[in-house]
This record gives sequence, structure tokens and C-alpha cells, in this order.
Amino acid sequence: MLSGTSSRPVARAIFKGGLWPALLFVLTACVGVRGAPPAGGEVTIHWRTENSSPAVEVAGVSPVVLEEFATGITGAEAARVFAVFAEQPGEAPVDRSAMPAMSGTWSVAAGRLRFEPSFPLARGVRYRAEVRTGEGPPVISFFELPRESMVPTTGVVQVFPGADELPENQLKFYVQFSAPMSRGNVYEHIRVRDAAGGLIELPFLELGEELWDPSMTRLTLLIDPGRIKRGVKPLEETGPVFEAGKNYSLTIDAELRDAGDRPLRAAFAKKFRARAADRTPPDPSRWKIRPPAAGTRDAVVVEFDEPMDEALALRLIRIADDASGKETSAMLEGQPALGDQERSWRFVPAKPWRPGTHQLTVRTSIEDLAGNNIGKTFDVDVFETVQRRPASEAVSLTFEVR
Amino acid sequence: MKKTTRLLVLSLLAAGALAPSTRAGLGATMKEGSPEFKSMSQLAFGPEGILFIADTKAAAIFAVVTDDTAPAAADATIRAEAINQKIAALAGTTADQIVIEDLAVNPISRQAYLAVARGKGPDAVPMLVRVSAGGQPELVSLVNVKFARAELPNPAADQMVGQGNRQSNRRLEAITDIAYSDGRLLVAGLSNEEFSSTLRAIPFPFSTVDRGTAVEIYHGAHGAFETRAPVRTFVPYKVGNESHLLAAYTCTPLVQFSLNELKPGAKVMGKTIAEFGNGNRPLDMIVYRKDGKDFLLLANSRRGVMKVATDQINGATAITEKVSDTKGIAFEKIDWAGVNQLDRLGERHAVVVRSGTGNAQNLETLALP
Repeated sequence: MLSGTSSRPVARAIFKGGLWPALLFVLTACVGVRGAPPAGGEVTIHWRTENSSPAVEVAGVSPVVLEEFATGITGAEAARVFAVFAEQPGEAPVDRSAMPAMSGTWSVAAGRLRFEPSFPLARGVRYRAEVRTGEGPPVISFFELPRESMVPTTGVVQVFPGADELPENQLKFYVQFSAPMSRGNVYEHIRVRDAAGGLIELPFLELGEELWDPSMTRLTLLIDPGRIKRGVKPLEETGPVFEAGKNYSLTIDAELRDAGDRPLRAAFAKKFRARAADRTPPDPSRWKIRPPAAGTRDAVVVEFDEPMDEALALRLIRIADDASGKETSAMLEGQPALGDQERSWRFVPAKPWRPGTHQLTVRTSIEDLAGNNIGKTFDVDVFETVQRRPASEAVSLTFEVR
Repeated sequence: MKKTTRLLVLSLLAAGALAPSTRAGLGATMKEGSPEFKSMSQLAFGPEGILFIADTKAAAIFAVVTDDTAPAAADATIRAEAINQKIAALAGTTADQIVIEDLAVNPISRQAYLAVARGKGPDAVPMLVRVSAGGQPELVSLVNVKFARAELPNPAADQMVGQGNRQSNRRLEAITDIAYSDGRLLVAGLSNEEFSSTLRAIPFPFSTVDRGTAVEIYHGAHGAFETRAPVRTFVPYKVGNESHLLAAYTCTPLVQFSLNELKPGAKVMGKTIAEFGNGNRPLDMIVYRKDGKDFLLLANSRRGVMKVATDQINGATAITEKVSDTKGIAFEKIDWAGVNQLDRLGERHAVVVRSGTGNAQNLETLALP
């Protein structure tokens, strides 16, 4: 609809403060009106981006037009007079004129038409404001915030499990990044390779949702359960993802993008060797507790009988603030941490230990590396399952502080 | 998020021309206000133009009275080319920053609703977009609407109180599908920590205390072992007078079970009635009636769209043995390429979002096969 309309930049300005404090690059391109000038004088477009809510203002609009907007015209009617467009890059498969204007609200302030977009302006997008107040061609102005630096700043901090030997029925990996990431294509950039560097085909349960934590710094990868189980069809078809005795690497290539659309600082590889399958549930009765001394803030340390799932071990083990052992007991304040490649749990209390019996509670939904819960292996005979009574939700261990 | 609420103020003015809310209907039980969304993950229509919106990040389900209850002509169809680019233009960004999370067609007005994320990082802003017969998207205002909210239990938050409270909560339960059936909203979820599949039935209208019922589902695929693979998509379906769910799991058995079995603390054993093969991810399912017969249409990531006659399902025997390839009831492959989202439009059509030229996603109406 605007092809052939030329625009002529007349002003450049740099604003400080507000939403984009540094280097706000504002290109204000006001174009003189061709054809009959409107009654209000020369129409000029002004990009107001110094505040946290950006706005586009039009000066020089006739009182008649201002009055129309002051009485509340909105939507398509308003956009016919004054609209802002986000230009879509590349070859548009549909006619550009089919592209809607930006959503926003119109108002009149200090003798100017004002448009506040519903969304903040994005970097690297060219915005076009169009004003049609008279018979002639529209007044057009462009604005673009410069892109952020594409210098990579984000990296992979760690991959869990930390051990370099994992059961061949390993269920989950957590990838911890140093900063928030973008979602949408993790399975293109995270792969499993064999010792020779060959790709293992479709190792993950590819979920469209992508299992990110709320901060989008940690990604959960599930190995396709169909390829780690006994007797499962895909297992027979394509073989297991991991086989005992072989070496593998989980690789994250640098093209995975962070939340600023920047690639990673470097590719990352977690190398490990597969050992025999683990079909034994974790057994807290075999855990060893090293109690701290009364009156200190030394850590209590729990040594597991096998490495545990990192996220669940951190979240599902707790110490009661009293000795009653009830699940409802208040929890002792403090900081838990895992050590020794998730083979141990340590807890530093916020206040010194009181002497006497302490109760450690473990939710049975805790998992080992193969997804076995307390009292329940990952693979359960289905015909028993239906009749089986649900296991208790937690088990308790005690330790004495002297 | 401040923007989120403000941005939605505008566009329902256009929809204000639609019918007023049903005063004596389900909306009468809801309060008026402006629901705040952290995300919009899944959509489903209930009765009276009520739209259910799942918010994974908030671990909540919203029921919103859309007032979009003016019946459309029975032959009204929708087509919007490059809908992702048009939504990007509306939202002032580019199409690479637009994620279409779900599609639901209002069965009364036959307008398509899309749950959209603007952005791909943690600050992504959720948007509800409506596409009418004209093919132009508009933002749906969620300011001063009648709504109700149901909280999903969040074990992480409960556990984080007290001990370990310095650790931020990293648990999230992704809501993979929702559907309304006979006064209940069914919600399938998958945690990023515990490996478990839960399906909750939440009575509607929502009561303030009922958090729904968590049900573990077992199915007997692949021989004698249960698969705890999560439900990816499901559809309510009646066999005689009894309500059933047909659920597709991630690796892709098709499982049937009775909704009557969804009781608190229950462990439900589903009947595996088909195997659609591995390396595949089910995306969406609909059921429809054609020439006096019921059919199921299942969109998959790798195997395209499959059509199954449901009379086979009713009489199907459970698969309890190892299977060497796709097995169980017969299915027909439908030549609909690139379908990412699927919902039914009336009795004879489906609305899909599917990949077009370049990065374009097209919203199209297709005749049901």
C-alpha cells in the first residue's frame, strides 16, 4: 500500500534514561506532506522512547482530527488515520498490505495525537509510523532500536548427573546454563554421540514444550523411555540409547541460542561410560548419616547407596525442626547441597544444632539416575501395579546430635 | 508483565458488538476482573463460549467468559496465510519471536483462538489471539472479563517453604493438554523433575478448594511392563453413554480408559488399542462424525495425520503383547502435510495451523476426511 512512497530523514536524536538507558538510537524521519497541507500546519512524527512506555506522537494535526480521537475512535478506524507497523523482514509470502498494524491505544495529549503500542519495541525491528490526515500521501517515519551485541556471553555451566559412569538405563539429564536461554529448537543442538562421534538417533523424548525451569537456565532432557526399557518395541527396533561398556558424549553445540538470541560461548560435551542397567530402587536404610556436633553449624552429611537425581535429591530430602518425625513438622531452616557427584547430601543449618534426635524425611518419589523410586523400580509389572496399594509418601531416618 | 495486562485492554472493544454474556449461565458464577497470565500453554472451549486457558508457568487453569456466542453460519470457514507473521506484526515483533502454543475453535462462533508467546526466553509475553472468518488476527482483551481460576497443586512450592527456601523453585509442570467433558476439565501434565504422568479432573465451575484429582495412568503396551510415558494429547469420547478418554502417549500407543475411573488416589489402567510406531510425537487429536460413523484424527510430528474409525476402538482388544510394528486397529494416513495444530470446525471441517513457505505458518480450514 505504500510502495513508491519515499521518506526523508530529517532528524536524529539520542535519548538517555528510561527503558533503554544507553545508546538509544532514534531515527526520526519526518516527511513533509505532499499535496494539500492539513489545517493544523506541518505534520511531524515523534518517537517517544525515553520512558518505560514508548509512544509515538503526531504534531501538527488539525483540530478536527484531534477532536475525532479525543472522542474515542479506536481500532481500525483510528489506524486508518494513524498507525504503526512492525516491518517483517525477508520475502513476505503474503502482500505486505495484508499485515496488520501494531496493537496499541490512541489518545490526544498536549495538542498531539499519541499512540502507545501494547508491547515494548523490540530491538532490530524496523517500525514505520504512517499518518493520513489529508488528501495527499501519508506522512511516514521510521524507527529502529539497534540490535544487542551478538558477542556470546552465555555458556553451559554443568550437566547433571555429574558422574562419568552412568547406568545404561539413565533417564534424565539436566543442562545448567549461565544465563536464560531461548526455547524452540533444543533437539537440533543437543545430541548424543557414540565413541566414534556418530549420532545416536532420536535419544530424547522430544517434547514440544521443552522442559525448561521457570528462569530458563536449566533444561531437562528425558531419554525416550521407550528406548531404556525391557521388552519395549522401540528398544527392539532401534536398540537402546546406551549400552553397558560403551562410551558416549552428550553434546551441546554453540548454535543453541540464549535469551538474547546469541550463540553460546563454546560447545560443551559431557563424556561418560555406560554401565549395567540399574533396576534396584534406592534404599535409604543403606544410607549413612554423619551427624554434626551439637552447638555447631557443621553440615550433616548423608551418603547415598547410589547417585541420585540432582533436582529431586535437593528438593525431597528435609530435616524436621522437631523430633516428632511427622511429615507436617516444620522444616529446619538451612541450605542443602549435593556432593561427590550426587552420591551425598549435606545440609548446613541456619542456626546451630540442638542436641538430641533429629528426623530426616525422604519423599519416596525421589529418583535414582534410572528413575527408580524408593520401593518401586522404573519398570513395574503392569498387572501387579493395578492391585498394588500406593506406597507411603515418605520414609524417615533419624540421627543423634551430641 | 505490567505490559501484559495493559496491552489486552484494547481489542475486545471490537468484540463488544458480539452477544452479551449469558446471565443465567455458567458465567454467572464467575467474578469480573483481569486475570494475569504468566504463560498461555493450552486452550479448550467449554460450554457457552467459555474458554479454558492453561498457564503452565503459574500452574493454573483459567476459565474465561469470551462473550463470543453469536452463532456463525454453518459453512463459515477461516483462512489466514502467514498467521505467525501477521501476529508478529500485531505484536510489534518479527515472526521468529512468535510461538503458537495452541489452537482452539469456538464451536459457537467458529472463530479460531490461538495461545501465543511473544518471545522465546523467560520474559516471553503471553497473548490470546482471535482469528475471524476474515483471516485477520486480533488481540483478545482479558481486562474486565468474567473468569475463574483453578490452581494446580505445586509440590515444589510446598516443599520449598522453610528448608532450602534460598534456592529458587526450579520445578515446573508443563501442561501438555486440556479438554472439557461433562462438567469436568481434564488436565494432563508432565514435570521437569519427577518422571511421572498425571491426569487431573477438575470439576467445573471451579470450587475454590478443589485442586482436582491426580491420577497415575498405566497402560499395557510393550508386553508386560507399564510405561510411565506421559500423556501428550487426549480427547473425550463417548462409548454408548459412558465417557471415555482416548489418549496418545509420547511414544505413541493410543490408550482408552473410562472417565468414571478417575477418582482420587486411583491408579487407572488404560487399554492400549493401537501402536503408531516410534520416533513419533502425537500433537493433537479430534473426534468427528461422518456418514453415520465416528472417526478419530490424530496429528503426529513425524507420521502426519492418521484417521481411525472409532467403531474399531469400541470393539478393540487390548494389546498386551510385544508388537513388531504399528499394531491394533487399522488407520489411514491422511495427506495433510506439516500440521502442527488441529481442532474441529463444526461437523465437516478441521482448522489446522501448518507449515507453509519459508517460516510461514498458515491457518487453514480443511474438509474432514
